[in-house]
Amino acid sequence: MSQFRSINRLPTHTGAAIDFTFNGKAYQGIAGDTLASALLANGVDVVGRSFKYARPRGIFGHGAEEPNGIIQLGSGAGTIPNLKATQVELYQGLEASSVNGWPSVNVDVMGIVGALGRLMPPGFYYKTFMYPKKLWMTYEHFIRKAAGLGATPVEADPDSYDRLNQHCDVLVVGAGPAGLLAAREAARTGARVIIADEQSEFGGSLLASKQSIDGIKAAHWLASLVAELKAYSNVQLLPRSTVFGYYDHNFLTVLERRTDHLGLTSAHQVRQRVHRVRAAQVVLATGAFERPLVFAHNDIPGVMLASSVSTYVNRYGVAPGNKLVLFTTNDNAYQTALDWHQTGRDVVAVIDSRSNPSGDIVAAIKAQGIDVIAGHGLIEAQGNKRVKRALIAPINAAGTEVTGAVRTLNCDLIACSGGWSPAVHLSSHTGAKPVWDESIVGFRPGESKQQERSAGACRGTFDLAGCLAEGANAGAEAAKLSGYGEGNTQFPVCAVEEYKEQPQQALFLVPHTKSTSRAPSQFVDFQLDVSASAIELAVREGFESVEHVKRYTALGFGTDQGKLGNINGMAILANALDQSIAETGTTIFRPSYTPTTFGAIAGRDVNNLFDPERYTAMHRWHLDQGAEFENVGQWKRPWYFPQSGESMQDAVNREGLAVRNSVGILDATTLGKIDIQGPDAAEFITRMYTNSYLKLAPGKCRYGVMLKEDGMIFDDGVCACLGENHYLMFTTTGGAAGVLAWLELWQQTEWPELKVYFTSVTDHWTTATVTGPNARKVMAKVCSDIDLSNEAFSFMDWRDGTVAGIVARIFRISFTGELSYEVNVPAHYGRHIWEALIAAGEEFNITPYGTETMHVLRAEKGFIIVGQDTDGSMTPADMNMDWVVGKKKTFSFIGKRSLQRSDMLRENRKQLVGLKTLQAKDVLPEGAQVVFDAKQTIPMSMQGHVTSSYYSSSLGHSIALAVVKGGHSRLGQIVHCPLADGRTIAAEIVSSVFYDPKGERHHV
Amino acid sequence: MSNSIKLESPLQYFHGSINKSSAPDSLFNGQIDCGLVIKEAPLSAHLNLRGDADDSSFCSAVAAALNLSLPLVPGTFQRDGNTSIYWLGPSEWLVVDVGGDAAAIEATLRKSLKGHISIVDVSGGQTCINLRGVAAETVLKKSSIYDFEDWDAAKATSGRVVQTTFAKASAVVSNRSDGSYDLVIRRSFADYVAQWLLDAGGEFGCRIEKG
Amino acid sequence: MLLIHCPHCQEHRDEEEFSYGGEAHIVRPLEPDALNDQEWGDYLFFRTNSRGIHHEMWYHAVGCRRYFNATRNTVTYEILETYKTGTQPTITGANS
Repeated sequence: MSQFRSINRLPTHTGAAIDFTFNGKAYQGIAGDTLASALLANGVDVVGRSFKYARPRGIFGHGAEEPNGIIQLGSGAGTIPNLKATQVELYQGLEASSVNGWPSVNVDVMGIVGALGRLMPPGFYYKTFMYPKKLWMTYEHFIRKAAGLGATPVEADPDSYDRLNQHCDVLVVGAGPAGLLAAREAARTGARVIIADEQSEFGGSLLASKQSIDGIKAAHWLASLVAELKAYSNVQLLPRSTVFGYYDHNFLTVLERRTDHLGLTSAHQVRQRVHRVRAAQVVLATGAFERPLVFAHNDIPGVMLASSVSTYVNRYGVAPGNKLVLFTTNDNAYQTALDWHQTGRDVVAVIDSRSNPSGDIVAAIKAQGIDVIAGHGLIEAQGNKRVKRALIAPINAAGTEVTGAVRTLNCDLIACSGGWSPAVHLSSHTGAKPVWDESIVGFRPGESKQQERSAGACRGTFDLAGCLAEGANAGAEAAKLSGYGEGNTQFPVCAVEEYKEQPQQALFLVPHTKSTSRAPSQFVDFQLDVSASAIELAVREGFESVEHVKRYTALGFGTDQGKLGNINGMAILANALDQSIAETGTTIFRPSYTPTTFGAIAGRDVNNLFDPERYTAMHRWHLDQGAEFENVGQWKRPWYFPQSGESMQDAVNREGLAVRNSVGILDATTLGKIDIQGPDAAEFITRMYTNSYLKLAPGKCRYGVMLKEDGMIFDDGVCACLGENHYLMFTTTGGAAGVLAWLELWQQTEWPELKVYFTSVTDHWTTATVTGPNARKVMAKVCSDIDLSNEAFSFMDWRDGTVAGIVARIFRISFTGELSYEVNVPAHYGRHIWEALIAAGEEFNITPYGTETMHVLRAEKGFIIVGQDTDGSMTPADMNMDWVVGKKKTFSFIGKRSLQRSDMLRENRKQLVGLKTLQAKDVLPEGAQVVFDAKQTIPMSMQGHVTSSYYSSSLGHSIALAVVKGGHSRLGQIVHCPLADGRTIAAEIVSSVFYDPKGERHHV
Repeated sequence: MSNSIKLESPLQYFHGSINKSSAPDSLFNGQIDCGLVIKEAPLSAHLNLRGDADDSSFCSAVAAALNLSLPLVPGTFQRDGNTSIYWLGPSEWLVVDVGGDAAAIEATLRKSLKGHISIVDVSGGQTCINLRGVAAETVLKKSSIYDFEDWDAAKATSGRVVQTTFAKASAVVSNRSDGSYDLVIRRSFADYVAQWLLDAGGEFGCRIEKG
Repeated sequence: MLLIHCPHCQEHRDEEEFSYGGEAHIVRPLEPDALNDQEWGDYLFFRTNSRGIHHEMWYHAVGCRRYFNATRNTVTYEILETYKTGTQPTITGANS
């Protein structure tokens, strides 16, 4: 029970007290409040400042449409900017502040700008601040700070977020009368149903309704319906869940706020969850937004939507003022006067723009003794930080001119209603173009592009009985189309007492005694301060398309996305263009429907789970040795193994010398491996590589290069013949998945007659490469059943055998140019075999080395790395690897024909060469440009670039691989690499093979 | 040397891991101490089998060799005791024998099968984990886009299998009649998957056991 | 996020399991060496780029690892049919 009686809290409404602070000041609300209702209860008029003119603004609406109550919730790491006070449920200890209001909502630092508002006309960014360009950053800083878009947290988000993939037969969006009936009808058929609603409670408009349904009060009827839905095992109810995007093939995203209403300190659980819903059928029952009326100074705190006033009174027990003037164009809003009257507070008058309103409810209002002033407009609100007066005047039937004397009504609250705009946003996400309907003075959802239908107010059906019936129909239909039920509903669905209504008037801009350009600002878009005169100005300046005017004026660009302002703005634009609203059209709504936190979108894909890290079986050994790691695709590979006090270069020098002089060991597990079986395996492989495998005997390996059909190098590796019709293909680490898909593509779609199967065995095998002059001696200690002599087991052979007790495949292939044995065992034995080899190599000081040393060693040999020395525009000839292209192959292998295209035969193609810097210690940066004339003025003629570059400890000087135009015929020439730091390094073009050019060392 | 051979399963270092930091105590009553229990069936025999499903002699030869019929209906598997055959594609199956010897199974199959077939031992490259507990299905829904509820809806309480995405990795997921799920995951992604499961299951309490 | 019916798995599966394979029904010339540069270039680089009905290959990469074809409307993204490689579409557009 609240001990604290807020000034606007109705005595009929009670609840547990909740303490909160707003802009540093302490207040109390009660359980069930939103931040907005609690602020109104406490008489807080100004909740923020407007974006451009810094005008004081108060709560205007009660839901997602709220343009003014934009707040920063919490502080520190968990703070969230740009929430709507109308959607924030109050919890004990809540802290909130205005996002717009630097330095304080009640002090007018920006008042000077506001007073001189016409200094900031539409297009003001473009006109004022784009030049001089160099000042833009300065301007932007000032504008952003002054405009106040909220503060993003600077610390890591402490909360956890989540995703849940959902599938259902019927997704119902919105749990107002139409949505609830849709869900009920669908649920009764046994279909899987999900119903989501952005509010904490289901019911939508029924939550603030005083109507009766089936003879009982709406609230009670609602409770029993929700209870029925909860009882179905096939129904999932998602309160506090906003459907924020509608994507292809009925894929919708729903943001569920699970703990926000409990406060930021309870965040051990999942704070927000995005449900990714694939629905067979969708029912959109998203309701409608009441349309504000555009009159002079309609933005002063104390001007509100009529339905919002009713909602605060009926649902939250808050009467945000004392003396109400209601301004309406329709019967529907009269309910607000009735609701207000029942609080015992004063209804000063109902101003109706229509000349002769005569609906049932008008009579009911008059019967209460309330003054109805017909044929009038409320042309201007007056007051500073709170409405004090309303100016009213008679207007003509078309609503375009003031026709008589202006009168003043004293009041502190103006409720306005220009009718209702269906919330067509989600249907618009699907590409359905909203259609203007004069009869409802609004846009209805366009023709369905997906398996969806709208029901209720979002379809332009505003009476309760109609909403219930449409909802029931839509639910039954959706269920039937997803395979459940007969599509029938009983009629009438519900009995509802309603007033008979008269037609509303279309009034998008209330006339003033002055012209629009001279009248006090008549705001269309509150959040971005777009006024009616600004739209007219945009037209005068030549803008005609609604999309252009939107961007020029910023209409609808705020965090509310113009939910209130768009229709009035388009109508004013249409009028200024002298065309119909249908001709003018509407802008396209896109996701997100309401702002969504990045945390929710990221879900669990953060920190160590951001991207999978793939490990080899020896990973923990590497960790224990203090290895530094390099990312190679998703793999973590040891980069180098620093010993204490060593720099990276020290370690790489040591590791390289160890391989050249004794023996090293490399974890080569990550190479892609594809097992290939079938009678046509050799033929198929021969079609994929540039060389032939038709005569490769069991026990033999061959190096091959794979091209794309355009002749460019795509991957490379060794392929071994394991037995009759059985091969093992090695791919690059990064190319593994792509090569497998490539093989499957050709076999499945082009040559299905070739009998061959491919299976990835990358993860099955662990590979330890033992390399260096002492490699054979190490192997001899752990392998006794293979004759390791060069004669029996030669370079490019492979053998089955037992290594350290494990059945292994050993390949004599070499990426270092030294005697090498690549030992492959099933990965469960990976760590065992690795440790056994390390132990066996101890007497030779076997040295584990990482990818950096591997790169240096292979570059010394001029072995390319696909993707580093090639870039998708390199042919084998460019790489000086013509030897790998089988000229006599009968079948035109993939890419062969392209090698004869005229561009491939061009003489000045970039070709792979070695570069030896004239100064031995100079190491060229990879990516450095190569020029022939160091003295040429900028822009210089780029003749190539460095692809790989290292310091070679074995050779005692730096080495580089580069691609240079016509490089193969330029051996011995001096080229220059101008660097970003101003130096120019000269280098000689040399052979790309620096070390052991005759290739003798790996044949021993 | 062979007496000191050390085998390591992909989840070796995760056995005994537990995360219930974000789960309320009320979840842990009596026997159930975690909403999600993950149990590895390590070091089993896994073989990839390829062949022509339209060739009845192939199908019957596999059935005879494994004493288990080859599942021909997409998305189904056959199981007898420790041996399972999962449908992976129209000409592809995964044979898993918990605690079995892959080389022996391969030899048996090779002896029986004729013509264009492929048998590949992939035991080192993957592992089986079982997910059980009240949160198992929810955690699957967090991890994979596949509609597992559809299996329940179709009253297929067991016998269904799907190869699909799992978080940012992939998995072969199948169901058991006791309501639990089996996953076959790749070795190199095992650390990632384990960390993912511990994180995603944390709100219900989650632990990893050795099978 | 497309929902794609895999004709091999015989289920609708989510786009994230698939990768796109480009235009379908492009036959590799049997004798590439007999083609002049322009003819070979047409095979290599030129595609119909249809507005509307389009026949294209998809690869069920994280699934059955089979390629198959889909007839898709490139304007609405509606997938009108999927069919196995080696078979013909039943829905064809004027430009296909």
